[in-house]
Amino acid sequence: MIVATPEAFGKKPLQVLEKIKENLERLNDKMEVMIELQKPGKKDALHPISDRPLDVMTLLSMPDHLRKTAMSLCRIGRATAEEVSQQTKRARAVESAYLNQLVLMGYLKKERTGRKAYFYVDRENQGGP
Amino acid sequence: MGKIIAVHSYKGGTGKTLLSINLSAALAKHGKNVCLFDLDFRAPSLATLLRIEKAEHYLNDYLNNASDINNVLIDLSDRVGKKGKLFVGLANSGTEAIRDMSAKDRKWEMRALGRLLALRTSLLNDKNFDYLIFDTSPGLQYSSINAVVSADLVLVATTFDRSDVDGTRRMLRELYDLFEKKTEIVLNKVLDVSSKSSKDDIQAKLKDVYQVPLLGIVPCFCDILKAEGGTIFVEEKPDHPFTRIVNDMAENIDRLP
Repeated sequence: MIVATPEAFGKKPLQVLEKIKENLERLNDKMEVMIELQKPGKKDALHPISDRPLDVMTLLSMPDHLRKTAMSLCRIGRATAEEVSQQTKRARAVESAYLNQLVLMGYLKKERTGRKAYFYVDRENQGGP
Repeated sequence: MGKIIAVHSYKGGTGKTLLSINLSAALAKHGKNVCLFDLDFRAPSLATLLRIEKAEHYLNDYLNNASDINNVLIDLSDRVGKKGKLFVGLANSGTEAIRDMSAKDRKWEMRALGRLLALRTSLLNDKNFDYLIFDTSPGLQYSSINAVVSADLVLVATTFDRSDVDGTRRMLRELYDLFEKKTEIVLNKVLDVSSKSSKDDIQAKLKDVYQVPLLGIVPCFCDILKAEGGTIFVEEKPDHPFTRIVNDMAENIDRLP
């Protein structure tokens, strides 16, 4: 939900607009996850699976569109949907949806830093030594 | 920004290691800074072929997160003149190490992929290497697929052996295409390339079968067999026809975008 707080109204118009944009981006992320969950056979994804290894055999078994996103993120390391979209030459919103889907599937982790959502493969913390 | 090249094949004995060593030496002689890695953990051979008695740290240690990559690298630059640098990272050929690498699980392989990908930053970006060359094990081994996924370019060493042709064709479609890998073929052990027409025939046939670019054709040289793996042709026989072919391949690779 978009909430313009009373404090925000006291600030300059540019800051208010930035706050609205930030909220819209968060809302957009949530919408993409909700849309993903509405797809047939995705009800199980309501509870994200944790810690599935994103190894090469998993990459091979993925559908092409997700493999492209996952491969790109593997190469970059930690990235926003925007950065992944620059590599894959697909729209940011498309990459955002695919990245969120990979998070739900347990292959990626997502972390917010300020306005930006970063996606990454949590290689070091998965499994034992 | 430098490149990672994986040298791979469907079957064993196609000349991957011979190609990897000589290509690395040729690129270094052309002034490039090259690092050659033995990713054939099940049958390591670079140490023997390069006549390196012992290493303090192996690529196994780096992938096991037990050593920094800088401790793994061995400087062989004095063997290739003054223009470029040649370093090598060996695989541990001890039985215990081979058994250990064969028993790794998926999570370890996932982390190994991460560590191979990290070489792009630590060696290509920070240490200014121009090329990292991965000499892999044949077929669809985990370590080889990790190498292919990490690479910018895959060189596939192949022969006219029927099972090799069939397997290589399948591997190109079912592995490299899925990972959208830039691939070049090196056809090795060819019996008749004496005339231009026979060369053209081979090129046309390969284009039809594999539908990927051909980097080079290597005839079957008796000298290579006689050397029993003990000669680095680019280093020791600069005027040998095989050296000339490898030099051409190195120049072509260096021209690739």
